[in-house]
Amino acid sequence: MPTLSINGQSYFTDSPPDTPLMWVIREDLRLTGTKFGCGLGICGSCTVHVNGQPVRSCMVKLGDAEGAVITTIEGLHPSDSHPVQQAWIEAQVPQCGYCQSGQIMQAAALLAVNPSPTNEEIVAHMNGNLCRCATYSLIVGAVQRAAQLMKEGANHG
Amino acid sequence: MAKTTTQGITRREFLVRSTVIAGSGFLSIGLPGLIASRDAEAAASTPAFTPAIWFTITPDGITTMHIVKTEMGQHIGTGLAQVIADELEVKWEDVRLDTPLESVENFAVYGLAYTVNSGSVTTEFDRIARAGAAGRIVLVEAGAKLLGAKVADCRAESSRVIDRVSGRSVGYGEILQKVKIDRKFSYPDDLKSIPLKNRSQYKIIGKSLPALDIPAKTNGQAKYGIDVFLPNMAYGALVAPRTRYASKVLSIDDSEARKIPGFIKAVKIDDAMGKCSGWVVAVAEKFPAAMKAAKALKVKWDAGPYANLSSAALLEQYKQLSKDEKAGAPWVLEGDVDRGFGESDKVLELEYTTDMVCHATMEPLNATVQYTNGEWHVHVGTQSTSFARMTLTGYLSQVLKKKPEELKIFVHQYLVGGGFGGKQDYDDILAAAYCVKETGRPVKLIHTRETNFATSFARTPTYHKVKAGIKNGELLAMNQDIVCGWMGARFGVGKKYGSDWLQQDSWDEKKQDIDQWSIGGSDHWYHVKNHRVRAWNHEATTWAVQASALRTVSNSYNIFVVESFMDEVARAAGRDPLEFRLAMLNGKGGNRGIPNTGYKPGTRSDYYMDQLWISLPWAKEGSWVPYESATVGGALRLANCLRVAAGKSGYGSRKLPANTGLGIAVTAAEERQSPTWVAGVAEVTVDPNTGSFTINRLTIAMDPGTVVNPMGAEAQIRGSALWGASQIMSERLTLKNGAFEQTNYHDYVPIRLAQVPEIDVTIIDSGHHPSGVGEPASTVVAPAVANAIFNAVGARVRHMPISPEAVLKAMKQKA
Repeated sequence: MPTLSINGQSYFTDSPPDTPLMWVIREDLRLTGTKFGCGLGICGSCTVHVNGQPVRSCMVKLGDAEGAVITTIEGLHPSDSHPVQQAWIEAQVPQCGYCQSGQIMQAAALLAVNPSPTNEEIVAHMNGNLCRCATYSLIVGAVQRAAQLMKEGANHG
Repeated sequence: MAKTTTQGITRREFLVRSTVIAGSGFLSIGLPGLIASRDAEAAASTPAFTPAIWFTITPDGITTMHIVKTEMGQHIGTGLAQVIADELEVKWEDVRLDTPLESVENFAVYGLAYTVNSGSVTTEFDRIARAGAAGRIVLVEAGAKLLGAKVADCRAESSRVIDRVSGRSVGYGEILQKVKIDRKFSYPDDLKSIPLKNRSQYKIIGKSLPALDIPAKTNGQAKYGIDVFLPNMAYGALVAPRTRYASKVLSIDDSEARKIPGFIKAVKIDDAMGKCSGWVVAVAEKFPAAMKAAKALKVKWDAGPYANLSSAALLEQYKQLSKDEKAGAPWVLEGDVDRGFGESDKVLELEYTTDMVCHATMEPLNATVQYTNGEWHVHVGTQSTSFARMTLTGYLSQVLKKKPEELKIFVHQYLVGGGFGGKQDYDDILAAAYCVKETGRPVKLIHTRETNFATSFARTPTYHKVKAGIKNGELLAMNQDIVCGWMGARFGVGKKYGSDWLQQDSWDEKKQDIDQWSIGGSDHWYHVKNHRVRAWNHEATTWAVQASALRTVSNSYNIFVVESFMDEVARAAGRDPLEFRLAMLNGKGGNRGIPNTGYKPGTRSDYYMDQLWISLPWAKEGSWVPYESATVGGALRLANCLRVAAGKSGYGSRKLPANTGLGIAVTAAEERQSPTWVAGVAEVTVDPNTGSFTINRLTIAMDPGTVVNPMGAEAQIRGSALWGASQIMSERLTLKNGAFEQTNYHDYVPIRLAQVPEIDVTIIDSGHHPSGVGEPASTVVAPAVANAIFNAVGARVRHMPISPEAVLKAMKQKA
């Protein structure tokens, strides 16, 4: 039975190994913050971290995810106050909210490797995440704000 | 309407009452009634009494606002709660939101749960503000009694009643524990007579309070319809039908599907209501297995009457239809248009077309249905839980051969992952319910992105012939002929469908049906002495593409046409498009707005908002919804927005780089009766070698009257402006052999982050009755971009969306 490590916990599932990881996370394990959008890896709603990398979980096979360290939106921060989450609330980014787990996971992965991104770097990194409410015009600013919060946190740290 | 009596009180009496249960009082504002909650969680935490319709205060001071409107990104619960909380003088930190279950019983109390037309704040503001004020009045009276003070000496603030003489105060919670309140207000008379605050007294209205629904949307806790789980639930995946509509299943071969572990059954959906034609659902233990099985099923269809229809053929048919001018149904009829053309010294006649688009919401359509203990439970995120229940009632009564009153149906509302008009159809609920009947299991039906596109509810393609008569540089006469599929037919609008709902007759002696939903926006606010709009229905379109409402409904194509045309007319008249518009936005005649609307009966659309917004069945008699006051000032407010946007954008004054132009446009969407005044300016740079264009900057000025939450309003305006940009740049749905050609976000292309221009938003809080902010800005962007492209390189494209090829072609035509 495939075993998955998600948000620091072990999960078992009876789904076959070719099942897209996204469906296992959502429907088997009921971590529904990860959303189904397109099934083709082109909308970003299902973005999770696999070994620290932002990946489209609809394109990852369950069998390939065994042994990997997986983080979903539910495990991004123990008290849901990752700097990106804080900045998202501060800027009031979400509208319908459906794509926002993916947006936040994508942004958090950027800041983990690049604590001071330029606006151009943010746009290039986030461009694969579709938002039908077009909350885009708040996203670049919110990522910059999150970067600032991270630095402040580190300084007080 | 029959008066229903509950606890000896007629439904039209509006109650403020506290009830003591187990030693603690609850204050409920609204109608009495024992509404047993069916929600298991709610049932565990709430005693048997109410919720009443607008809000409930419990002795711990928590005030729960009961929000019937759908949350789909507009943060509507927060906005409505701000209005109530301000008048109620409740502490904002104590405010919570909930959503009532939809059922026959609750419908009789809460009314029609239907969220459309950017109308929630517009229609509810006055009524809920007065409900909040009524609550404050009785709490102050009760608080004064407890404090031994005179009522006149007491005021309410932050959930406390304060005696200004003694300085002593008592909290709302304590009042409820100690005083039994029982006050009746009649609806609407008493309620109407309660004085409201003037805007200088607002404490919560007009504040950019953080939306209450947002935190859960950042941590994975927000629950959408797709996130529902029920015990023993199976999953359903649709097989994309042969055509969008009216194909019939001839045979299903499930021999391959049966080899898939977890496959349960292929269900041919009973199409009793003509809503799931050609649908076969693969039901399996898990969704991935259901998807595999759906692919493995071999289905044969009779492709039906629309099997040969394609987008190109539709356009040709539209052109043919419009040639019979006498068949067009006049909808705007002011002055004598033909005479005006005769008297003109220049006549301009142009054709415009728009392609189909669809909602393509990020959350694909889905529905979860359960049958248990003789009750049907629907779990879904929808724009109308009421219509969901009614539609399922009609369907199941046919399928199960039962009387509607024998069916017990409850609709549980969830967050909606994008609405835009795309979540007011209920096909998936019917199909899921049928799968429940066939399998005996609860079923969650989820569309893949591919089946979601295949079963899109499209905005109709449109064809427009627009004619202007110009005399002495002025627009003397204007005629717009519009041919498209009328969506209203699908919702039963029109005498032909046996309904007078939203129905309007044409102004000529033929009294033809007109579907205003499909024509609105052409009744613009420019003062043109002779103005006519004629409309044709292409009925095959209505059904073949399942024509539907999409963000701003018909404004989304009519504003593109009217505002592109105004620029062209201005040029033909030798005038500047800005000055030309301002001269006609003079607030004269039928464009005055109230008071003194000025339009003559029989000349303009018979506004239908009343029919749409009589949302409380018990209040129908004597209902009052003074949203019409959103029209105060009329076209003069639109002119003001245009001056603001033009000024801020540097229109006519700023020096622009090569191949760059500014284009302007205005709108008063959503309806004549509930206008939101908007002007937009687009700055666009065109690559003259490829015809591709870049939107550099959008300047939007909006006067929506009173602004309840400025930060929320600005977010809505920004998002809707980008929705408009997406529509003019790249969104395009096409029909081939009766089926949509696009399947996913690679061939149906919404705007992405890298294409986002700078956006400058000005909100003019004019203090008038509020109108909607979530949609109208989307309509000005497309024509502003088209006008900017013309101003940049002289290329006029009369089609939406605008492709680089079309720009190049238009540039060559000019040369």
